[in-house]
This record gives sequence, C-alpha cells and structure tokens, in this order.
Amino acid sequence: MDGIHDLGGKLGYGPVDVNEPEEPFHADYEGRMWAMSRTARAPGVTIDWWRHVRELITAEDYLNRPYFDSWAQTTIASMIDAGVFNIEELESGISQTQPLGHVEIMDYDGVLKQNTGMAFKFDRLVEEPAEFVVGQSVLTNAKGHSGHTRLPEYARAKVGVITHYRGAHVFADDGAKGLENAQHLYTVSFKATELWGDTANPNDSVSLELWESYLAAS
Amino acid sequence: MSSFDPKEITKIHQHLHSHLPSDPALRVKALETILVEKGMVKSENIDKWVEVYADDIGPKRGAYVVARAWVDPDFKARLLADGSKAVDEMGFAGPASGHLKAVENTPDSHNVVVCTLCSCYPFAILGMAPNWYKTAAYRSRVVREPRAVLAEFGVELSQDTAVHVWDSTAELRYLVIPERPAGTEGMSQDELAKLVTRNSMIGTDRDLKIGGA
Repeated sequence: MDGIHDLGGKLGYGPVDVNEPEEPFHADYEGRMWAMSRTARAPGVTIDWWRHVRELITAEDYLNRPYFDSWAQTTIASMIDAGVFNIEELESGISQTQPLGHVEIMDYDGVLKQNTGMAFKFDRLVEEPAEFVVGQSVLTNAKGHSGHTRLPEYARAKVGVITHYRGAHVFADDGAKGLENAQHLYTVSFKATELWGDTANPNDSVSLELWESYLAAS
Repeated sequence: MSSFDPKEITKIHQHLHSHLPSDPALRVKALETILVEKGMVKSENIDKWVEVYADDIGPKRGAYVVARAWVDPDFKARLLADGSKAVDEMGFAGPASGHLKAVENTPDSHNVVVCTLCSCYPFAILGMAPNWYKTAAYRSRVVREPRAVLAEFGVELSQDTAVHVWDSTAELRYLVIPERPAGTEGMSQDELAKLVTRNSMIGTDRDLKIGGA
C-alpha cells in the first residue's frame, strides 16, 4: 500500500532529535501498551495484519500522534474488528459478555520466562527450490499493490545484488490476509547511487530483505 | 475472528477518531480496563512486564553480547554465523530475536539499522527502541542521506568509509558490532560492556570512548 508509512527516502522530514533522554519509557502508558501488545492478541491476528492495521491510521494521526498511541489505536481497531470488544464496551469499561479468557498472575521470573519464549520463528520449509543465488543481480517489481507489502517504494524498479539467502519465510503480503504462505527470502544490496542517483556516495549501500515474488532476474 | 479487510479497519479508525479520548494515556487506560474485564490481561502482569523492561531487558544485554564477541573469537564466529542461536546461548532470547543478524563495523565500513516501513527493532537485546528511531525524520532520511543523519548524532565519516544501511523489511533484526576501542586490552568483559552504547549497536554512534560516552 502506497501509504504514509512508506517513509524511506521521502523528503521534507528532519532533523532527528538526538537529545532524547535514554530511558526505557518516557511515560507510564508506553510501558503498559508495550506489555499489552506482547500478551493480548485478537483472534487470528498476524504480525502482518497488525502492521497493516497500523498503516491504515489516517496520515495526519500517523505522523503527529505519539508512537505508542498508534499502537493503542492499532490494537483497539484490530480487537474491535475481531469482535473482542465493541466501542461501547471500550468507552464504558464494562464488558457485555462473559470473560473470554483467564490469565494467571505472574511474578517477575514468570514474565522473564514468558519473554524468553517470544523469540518467534518465521522460516518454513518449502518444496520449490530457490530461484536466485547469492551474487546474482536482480530487478525489483516496479509496482506495488493496495494491500500490505514490504517492498518499499524507494526500492521498486531497482537493480541490486543478492548478498544472502535467508531460507523461506512467511510471506508478509499474504500474512496480512491471514494466510500463511512461505516464500524464499533474500537480502538484496543496492548501491546508494542506484537508489538516489549520482549525488550519492558510490561507496554506500542499502540492504533489504525481499521475498522471491518481489524480484526478477536482471 | 479478524476480518483481514482493510475497508473495515478504515471505518473503525474513523469511528475511533471521534470516540476515543485525545490523551494517549487515557486511550491506553481504556484498552487495559476492557481487556481486564474480558479476562485477557491482568494489570499485575502488566506492572511486572514494565519492571522487567525497565530493569533487566535493555541495551545492556546487547552490550554484553558485543563485549563477549570482542573477547571470545569463537563466540564472535557463532554470533556472526547465527545471531539468534548465539543470543539464546547467553539466555537473551525474546521478542524479535528469532532471526538475528550481527553486522560488524571495520575501519573502512560503518553499519546503521532502520525500519523504514514501521519500527522493527531487536527488543530482546536492545530493549525499547528510542523514539527517534520510530520517527518519520529518521526513517525517511537514514536510507537516503545516512551521512547527514550520522553527523547529527556526532558521527563524522570520511568519504572513503562505506556506509551500509540495513532496512529491516522482513523478520530479520540487526545488531551492529562496533569496533573495540584501542587501549582496552586489559579490560574484563564486564568493563568492556559498559563502553558499548545503545546507539553504537543501532549504528548512530561509532567511536566508543573509554570512561563512557
């Protein structure tokens, strides 16, 4: 989706606030939102669908509201969509149904252990052999599509070189539709001059992980 | 069940716009209240999660990984070959460490990490991402003018030093291994870990200083 989230290379932003205090959370609600996002999921939600729901926040809010506020909005929207609660319940704080689950209270070590168990894997076995090999030159798709995709606009219709093969991974574009299809995944390195023109430093590069269907031999 | 229908979500977002309080803290509070009511979270566990990420899980974990790589060549080889396994071996597995790739700075090259499409970050070893990492300013510019962004962070590079930007578009996460500073030969792993800054592991810091940043 050619939305506001696809920020790579867009002009008119900056500078970066380099004086931000180094602390885990700048406000209490940030930590609470982080914790809820790790531990409560809407039925059927995938990481890709969740990201797509975030991308669909209006451009104005996406750019201007605080970061964890966008997580709150994303989680609320995906939960309303999945029927976990409705807006009335959210506004009143009173559930109109029986509890949907039961969570045990955990101690500090219990949470540490739960956290350790969240190193999720996205690689899958597929039967089809990989189409490309390391060292090969590839051309990325020129066009995106209206759904969730991980081929950013700045890397479309560009020629790069495959530097690593990562195995087959769950394909994000399908993951956002609730489907689990794996595709071969490659790290592709692009010269900065290929992406940005001759004013870029010829020594510099940008690398992205790209799925096989984003690529053609060049 | 999730609808996976973007049109539904657009409608819900618009509806929420007029129904949610403006203060983000109140929005998060409303979410917590209804999730507790629905039996999906316990506020006590949320308290504990916040504590764990304030005390135990943060950039000091990544710093231990880097310091160990500096003193233990076998570990460094394992870290470069399979970052997830190496981090797991140290007991540091967690969110977004399932596919971890370590990339090493050299005198001739510098690595810097971004997620232009959202805000992917190796939480398990670096903790919470700084806010700047998630802003439009960083995400838009670091792929296009990395040297200008690095200069804002105080990192000045010669034109001959190659800058490699890693845009985290899939589920791989990146850890930059900064160069070990000169004059640290006699230091212990714990002392070395204290020299490693969070930003050096993202790539917005380069020359680590003895005695802290």
